[in-house]
Amino acid sequence: MHPPPLRAAVIGPGLLGLDLAERLTRSSSLVCALVAGRHSSAGLRRAERLGCAVSTGGIDAVTGSGVDIVFDASSAAAHPRHRAELAAAGILLVDLTPAGDGTIAAPTVNGDVARSRLHLSLASCGAQAAAPVLAAAARHCTPHYVEVVTTAAAASVGPAGRRDLDEYIATTGAAVRQFTGAPRVKVLTSLSPALPALAFRVQATLLAADDDPDALREAVKTAAAVVRDSLVPGYRLADCAVTGGRITLTVDVSATGGRLPAYAGNVEIINASAVALAERHAAARTLRGTP
Amino acid sequence: MTTTAHVILHDATLRDGQHSVGHRLDAGQLRAYAEAANAARVPLVEVGHGNGLGGSSLQIGQALLEDRAMIEAVRDVLTHSRLGVFVAPGWGTGHDIRDAVRAGADVVRVAAHCTLGDTTERHLALVRDLGAEAQAVLLMSHMADPGRLAEECARMVAFGAQAVGIMDSAGHYTMRDVTERIGTIAAAVDVPVIFHGHNNLALAVANSLAAVQAGASVIDACARGFGAGAGNTQLEALVPVLEREGHTTGVDLHAVLRAADTAEARLLENGAPTTDSAGIMSGLAGVFSAFRLPVLRAAAEAGVDPLAVFTELGRRGAVAGQEDLIPEVVRHLAKAAA
Repeated sequence: MHPPPLRAAVIGPGLLGLDLAERLTRSSSLVCALVAGRHSSAGLRRAERLGCAVSTGGIDAVTGSGVDIVFDASSAAAHPRHRAELAAAGILLVDLTPAGDGTIAAPTVNGDVARSRLHLSLASCGAQAAAPVLAAAARHCTPHYVEVVTTAAAASVGPAGRRDLDEYIATTGAAVRQFTGAPRVKVLTSLSPALPALAFRVQATLLAADDDPDALREAVKTAAAVVRDSLVPGYRLADCAVTGGRITLTVDVSATGGRLPAYAGNVEIINASAVALAERHAAARTLRGTP
Repeated sequence: MTTTAHVILHDATLRDGQHSVGHRLDAGQLRAYAEAANAARVPLVEVGHGNGLGGSSLQIGQALLEDRAMIEAVRDVLTHSRLGVFVAPGWGTGHDIRDAVRAGADVVRVAAHCTLGDTTERHLALVRDLGAEAQAVLLMSHMADPGRLAEECARMVAFGAQAVGIMDSAGHYTMRDVTERIGTIAAAVDVPVIFHGHNNLALAVANSLAAVQAGASVIDACARGFGAGAGNTQLEALVPVLEREGHTTGVDLHAVLRAADTAEARLLENGAPTTDSAGIMSGLAGVFSAFRLPVLRAAAEAGVDPLAVFTELGRRGAVAGQEDLIPEVVRHLAKAAA
């Protein structure tokens, strides 16, 4: 017998929030109890059509809703207030904005933190795409510099994401430091106006000592396969080159399944990761018997 | 259509030129040219990594000097000319802008790809808050139609930009393209309009003149055309051309010719940029000018035709900042040829 699903709220009915709500409707351990925005919008009307309860009351509507999990898909600037309002409630807060003040988590790398922590940060779509292969590579070398370059299709990044580029860079950098231990990190991000739009693309370059090329390549390929098989079917390791202390890892991420346009791999990976972390949290709560 | 009598020349030699020497200009080189440009009464001298603040990276090229060191190298010799910096959000950040203004930047150009003007909102507001002049430019502008460019420019004016315009980052335009785009933008905004040309089709000076005739009043130019790819609009040629067409620039012709000679002697380690076959193909394909050297290098290593690489990059819609696509396209072509 399945335990009753945990009730989740989504703040921010934008590109990320709407796709999240849709994913929640397909989860066996989570249910979308509320989508909250700050004013009436096309996004909220779409969430309503998905069968979700909606509110224009923003965070205030969420705190009174009795949910177990909150996904924050608003903006880096709005996140601190959401965190403050939810801190005392014993609610799991999964932050998809690049505010970066929670525990940075990627499901296939350190997903177990979702069992014990109540404030998780996805960091960014770029961090979610880079973390699995970077963490795998860093187990087989000692990186002293890591650079991550991400390119997303313009149409896959909404107004909040476009305003939050500085936070995206800072928080992606923090994630890269956490997952590689590199003392120096550089992040560059471009939004591409090209049509037809290209898939989300992330290139990570490590300058490292003591690399073991064969073990490194094997570990990176395995890590990419785990993401592809368990999380994002459109996750593809396009290149893994190891030459003279310079390691280049290139990943393309496409959305699959027809709900999102194929180029929106950035939306797919951050949302699939957020839901996977919340599901792991739900499973742990069920085991502890505290739904 | 209103054309202005006075044109403000924006000297990008020490920023765009960095692309053609791997961002390796040293403090002595920066200072020597800045001094000469200042003596020629060039209104503004821009300095920095080729992709601007925060651009130094493995992806685009690591600069010899930090952003702040480049600004400091020229700050005190610019007694007449204002000091400009360039920043594209996503590559550089608000933190970089604060540092640059603190180090003495008078004008900050905030850039976005052609349809992404909204990424400049916070950075333009920051520049205004810091008391520097805020300008905004759209990169890779050939990828958007004139109406869309004008809409984005108007949006950036609303964000606080005190001058707005377009860069022909790929050197793709002919004069008709420029006239149509600048005319549409000039009709949509009430601040000075900027044009930045590249010489891939040997039209940079002609395009800049067309821009002025269509209503632009801030024109970017570089000594000897020292800039990415096939080079930029040649400053010391543009000055007399504008004067002959009835526009004033305030620049001293003889002194700017001497400044260009200084650039040739001190900066142009790889010779003056030329409109060669790679440059023409790159411009036709609409590829970011600064891809020139990495494409030529990667194509030579793999034994593939660089012209085919430019064509394929253009077909994929590669934009500035996507240097990581170059090795992939080269591998793809090498495999297809095998």
